[in-house]
Amino acid sequence: MKITFPYMGTPLVYKKLVEMLGHEPITPNKPTQRIIEQGVKNSPEFACFPMKVIMGSYIDALERGAEVILSSGGNGPCRAGFYGQMHEKILNSLGYNPKFIILDSIHRDFKGFIKNFKMITQNVSLCQLYSIFKFLHKMSSDLDQLEMQLQTKRAYEINRVECNKVWEKIQSIFDKTYIKKDLIKAKEKCQILIDDINIRKIPENEKIRIGIVGEIYAVMESSINMKMEELLGSFGCEVRRAHYLSHWIEDNVVPKIFSKSKDGEICKKGQKYIEVAIGGHAQQTIGHIVDYKEQGFDGIVHLMPFACLPELVSQSIIPKMSNEIGIPVLTIALDEQMGVANNTTRIEAFIDIIRNSKEKKYRAS
Amino acid sequence: MKVGIPRALLHYYYYPFFKTLFDELNIETIVSNPTTKEIMNKGIEHSVAEICVPMKVFSGHVAELVDEVDYIFIPRMISISKYEYFCPKFMGLPDMIRYTIPGVKEKIVSPKIDVADENIAKAKYYGEFKKKLGVKEKELQKALKIAYGKWNDFRNYSKEGHTLVEALDGFDQNHYEVSNTKNDEIITIGLLGYVYNIYDEYVSMNIIEKLKDLKIRVVTFEMLDEHALTKSLTDLKKVPFWTFSNKLLGAGYCFYEDENIDGIVHITAFGCGPDSMIGKILELDSDQYKKPFMTIRVDEHSGENHLQTRIEAFADMIKRKKINLGGGTVNENNISLYGNTACI
Ligand code: SF4
Ligand code: SF4
Repeated sequence: MKITFPYMGTPLVYKKLVEMLGHEPITPNKPTQRIIEQGVKNSPEFACFPMKVIMGSYIDALERGAEVILSSGGNGPCRAGFYGQMHEKILNSLGYNPKFIILDSIHRDFKGFIKNFKMITQNVSLCQLYSIFKFLHKMSSDLDQLEMQLQTKRAYEINRVECNKVWEKIQSIFDKTYIKKDLIKAKEKCQILIDDINIRKIPENEKIRIGIVGEIYAVMESSINMKMEELLGSFGCEVRRAHYLSHWIEDNVVPKIFSKSKDGEICKKGQKYIEVAIGGHAQQTIGHIVDYKEQGFDGIVHLMPFACLPELVSQSIIPKMSNEIGIPVLTIALDEQMGVANNTTRIEAFIDIIRNSKEKKYRAS
Repeated sequence: MKVGIPRALLHYYYYPFFKTLFDELNIETIVSNPTTKEIMNKGIEHSVAEICVPMKVFSGHVAELVDEVDYIFIPRMISISKYEYFCPKFMGLPDMIRYTIPGVKEKIVSPKIDVADENIAKAKYYGEFKKKLGVKEKELQKALKIAYGKWNDFRNYSKEGHTLVEALDGFDQNHYEVSNTKNDEIITIGLLGYVYNIYDEYVSMNIIEKLKDLKIRVVTFEMLDEHALTKSLTDLKKVPFWTFSNKLLGAGYCFYEDENIDGIVHITAFGCGPDSMIGKILELDSDQYKKPFMTIRVDEHSGENHLQTRIEAFADMIKRKKINLGGGTVNENNISLYGNTACI
């Protein structure tokens, strides 16, 4: 089967999954202006922005020959859980008839997960499946570990975009691995690439650390978030994200007893401000802000897609809440007309304020 | 001790329940006045810009009440049926209000409603009444039972074909008029929309009265039987998650199937995410049913004239068709009003 899937962060792991299960992956293109416009045009006006962008990606992949769309259901009671149906209905009305396979979280709907999963795993035995899964799980956490190092180094790189180039290389090296042994070698090789990046030495008190929180798609997909990580890196900030693919796997696929998931802990930190899980990642958004504060971060960039229901709740709470705990937060709403220039200015100003107050505090002590 | 009840959101659906509950517990309540421009403006002032109109209206009502009362009643609606939830904004409503409206923090009383069978009268959800309002368990149980009875009377009356305005009147007067069906209406319209949009006269510009003045019979989702609403959704592979949106979607299909309904008007508030989904689904299926469907979008600066013109045109079109076809259902629809979503 020719299978495509949504584009969110690096598509490498999904691509590998499809490939190793014996299907042909139609890797989605990174959302371009044209893809986004297609999606916007063919979605309801107040659909949330990720839904629109994914709509565009699907159309693009279908035009390139995809027959099956593989996607995950959403997190908690939010629209993402209903994405699949909505996308399917709209695509049908446009004359596309792909087969949809939607994997809901294994913790929510075990039977449904297995049933859908069987559809794409006919070609492999249970034993193979287990090792594929273990392999990809390791690959995603290796990739995330490497990426985090880049998120730190980017702030101090001497040759601009060197970190980006290394990241591209890392992805293509990992793309060629199929067994555990290669994976280990690949990681070593990539580590050397990272170690070779030339960086400036900056005294500890001048370092600035920013956490990016918010809705998962907005946080992970750089083509819709103005390449936030690179942007912050270019302003000299170390960056961490609230969502990484390997964490998502821990939260949603790995059986709870083996899982190293931090999700519960983060939600607990958010509970003081949003008492119950309200869908999407709103509670996590608040929880991560608290968590980053505790870790000593200097500021937060909160990304919310246009028309995101749960993030409107967190957005409402953030101004007072961040004041209470004492960490500056900048909320940025993303849609197809994001004023990049305007937002870049806002971010620059935000970082300036953080830097100045940090300096003042340092001098005072 | 005074408890303030904001006249917004699900107030129109649950008022008889909560009012009876407080009365039985001998707790004085103050309900905020119907929405006005001032209330709307207060709401806008205290809300984030992109949030939907009904949430702004709610904030306005809370801001209006907060200084007059000791407590503000803001139930946290999580679920009233299996596998369905409320729109995320409802689930996070008390949190949102706590952090946006000055002076309200310590005053919120917020029972957590999370049931599987529409029976919101279980004492375990009202722990806050005991903690904050000093109510005893026994009293609470008794009061809840009476409240539930009253609410059922109110719902049953509505299901006989009465609008919530009529049913709320009946509740206030403690007497429900037996319906006298006067049949001078020529056409029937299925009116789709959340209770807080349709029955808030400021938001909907009193659309029900306007339709009635045009001799149009109006049917709304509250008049339909709950089972009919869920049954009409069984065709969908996976229903959306939101309770009241599902009720509307179910009602939409009931209206499509019901040959006594001549057309459908969907009232939706600017910024409503769930509505954009169910509206699209109904729109995509409309071809199959060939019934006129009009979407009217209301926002915080709506204008009356435009609404009047649009519903008149819509009604005229339906009437003309009916006459041309000698009555009965419209089975041909070449003037599709479909997707006619101008902002008014
Ligand atoms: S969390 Fe936000 S972006 Fe994600 S599905 Fe829900 S509304 Fe859409
Ligand atoms: S259902 Fe729509 S109108 Fe109602 S609260 Fe949610 S977004 Fe607002």
